[in-house]
Amino acid sequence: MGAMLAIDTSAGTTVALVRNGEVIAESNHDNTMGHAETVAVAIAEVLAAAPGVGVNSVVVGRGPAPFTGLRVGIAAAMMFSQGAKAKLSGVISLDAIALLELEGNSAISSTNPLLVVTDARRKEVYYALYSGLNSHGVPIRIDGPAVIKPAALEEMLIDINITPVTATKSITAVAIAKLAEAQLRDACLSTDVTALYLRQPDAVEGQFGKKVSG
Amino acid sequence: MSKPWAIRLASESDLDAIMQIEHECFANDAWSSDSMFDELTGAEKYYIVAYQDDALIGYAGLNKLPTVHQSEIQTIAVLPSSRGNGLGRDLMDQLLQEAVRCDCREVFLEVRADNPVAQQLYRSLGFEQIDVRKRYYQPDDVDAIVMRATLTSAKAEPLVLGIESSCDETGVGIVRGTTLLANVISSSMDQHARFGGVVPEVAARAHLEALLPTLNEALATAKVSLDEIDAVAVANGPGLAGALMVGVGAAKSLAVSLGKPIYAVNHLVGHVGVDILERGELETPTIALLVSGGHTSLLLVRNLLDDVELLGETIDDAAGEAFDKVARVLGLKYPGGPEIDNAAADGDPNAIRFPRGLMLPKDMEKNRYNFSFSGLKTAVARHVEVLNTKGELVPIADVAASFREAVVDVLVSKAVNACVDHNVPRLLLGGGVIANRRLREVAQQRCDENGIELRIPALSLCTDNGAMIAAIGAQLIAAGRQPSGLTFGADSTMPVTTVQTL
Repeated sequence: MGAMLAIDTSAGTTVALVRNGEVIAESNHDNTMGHAETVAVAIAEVLAAAPGVGVNSVVVGRGPAPFTGLRVGIAAAMMFSQGAKAKLSGVISLDAIALLELEGNSAISSTNPLLVVTDARRKEVYYALYSGLNSHGVPIRIDGPAVIKPAALEEMLIDINITPVTATKSITAVAIAKLAEAQLRDACLSTDVTALYLRQPDAVEGQFGKKVSG
Repeated sequence: MSKPWAIRLASESDLDAIMQIEHECFANDAWSSDSMFDELTGAEKYYIVAYQDDALIGYAGLNKLPTVHQSEIQTIAVLPSSRGNGLGRDLMDQLLQEAVRCDCREVFLEVRADNPVAQQLYRSLGFEQIDVRKRYYQPDDVDAIVMRATLTSAKAEPLVLGIESSCDETGVGIVRGTTLLANVISSSMDQHARFGGVVPEVAARAHLEALLPTLNEALATAKVSLDEIDAVAVANGPGLAGALMVGVGAAKSLAVSLGKPIYAVNHLVGHVGVDILERGELETPTIALLVSGGHTSLLLVRNLLDDVELLGETIDDAAGEAFDKVARVLGLKYPGGPEIDNAAADGDPNAIRFPRGLMLPKDMEKNRYNFSFSGLKTAVARHVEVLNTKGELVPIADVAASFREAVVDVLVSKAVNACVDHNVPRLLLGGGVIANRRLREVAQQRCDENGIELRIPALSLCTDNGAMIAAIGAQLIAAGRQPSGLTFGADSTMPVTTVQTL
């Protein structure tokens, strides 16, 4: 029976090897920089913890997250799946945080939802709202993921008259793997691994004829 | 799914499990338990076992004769239920690596004439038939085919996959030693056109999207599978940090998934080393002029892997950048190089005497091999502005030709100076700007005048590409260099003296 390799670089670098819901090994690095340095070390670590265990699926967190680090994890997942001839799938990182919060928490509902917020830098946040878990244990997302200024998010919640419970847990690759396993049960695990930037690149279209003389 | 197994050294305690497999695989001519015990414990023997979920599924053994630099494959067995997944190849790889470690140059084996699958595996590993032993296998009465592999060639000709992502080109190249097998490049140039220059974030996003299609096209072109790759190489600098990180993360993960070594190499040294793919070797010493949208560097290469010296580089814009900026001034499209080349075709290169940066006698003392193009760009912009203010028509062909002449003059003059000063009769060109016709023309002319041999690699090897990175990786392996670890990162300002990051 093959195992699932889960990778997420939407915040720090977190990698886990999971089989049938059982965590074989995990490697978590909080540093929100240095993904390119860390990711392969973390993968090698979890594989070394379980010699003789083959990887037959790779799942990666697609963010949302600020650009650079997110790409490293997705690139690593893509290539590992090719090298190991393993299936590749992607999940939304915010959904995995929601899963951590919602397991064993029955107080959450559509009128009392869970709010997951992560740092998007530039004085903005990524957010999504959840009303609970479905019968397969997959978080039910009722809004987001989107990028927004914190004040605008607050205003929006007041507008729709919702006081959500705010998630406090951080992303882990174990949560990514558990989410993927739940989505597999629910037959909704996606092969889409495109990065969720939710923002356009900062670039100004070429300006012609800039004056150079007095 | 690959490698659901792991491999380790065999020990005496594996004897019973090995004998079970021995009897299952070799029903009529299995070794005795005593013979197998002697094999497992012999001084010059190297036995390994493969296991999955704590159960043995295969084994293989090597008999080493280091005094004569030879070794023999003693046996290899894989349970029928575990065949067809590459375990046999994996076991053979390990035996051959051990043979290399103990400095064996030839490896021999015997294989049943009625086992074409095994023969095919051995051929793909470099074994050739050298003899037949008639009716060797008894009681089945089957001939043995004797095969031999020469290891020096395997080591000197590693199959290396190189990944390049330092700017706006995603490149995957595959080489075998010094032979080019594939060079696939996916460029995001079109996406940058409306911005008039490379936007780092746009480039990095494009790398991620291009990665898998580029990899798969390269493998298809080279007609190899990832399992056959001996090593992965990646450019980890200099270049755009965010772009480099995509390649670095990808390459390291690929290497880990394949269980193969990785080599982190310098992008600029790749541009120099690419000549190896066309000529089989790099003649040294050589002066190298690398000109692209991101670099304008003049190098003295005494030894590709150990002694690359930066003589000079641009102190402001890269030459390619100057082409892009002047193209904008003239209302031409991005990228500026080919646009200006075309516009200049009917122009007079001597119509306007634009300034040559850092070419004055005082500059030639301090900045003899350095370049500056920002003053030239401003001079062109001012020239155009003056004409516009007067309401006169801008002679685009003449301006383009005169600007191009100024850039080419400076580039070639300084490169030829470097050759003459250092008594090096060779000049190698590299980088995307080498596509410029006038640059190649003037370089040839001045090199001929000065008795300098000019090398211009094919354009597909001049622009950023993965093949040049793979070529350097293969050179490092052939030179017996140790692989890079897994902790290296991207270094956007990597000096050219760092050929490999360990």
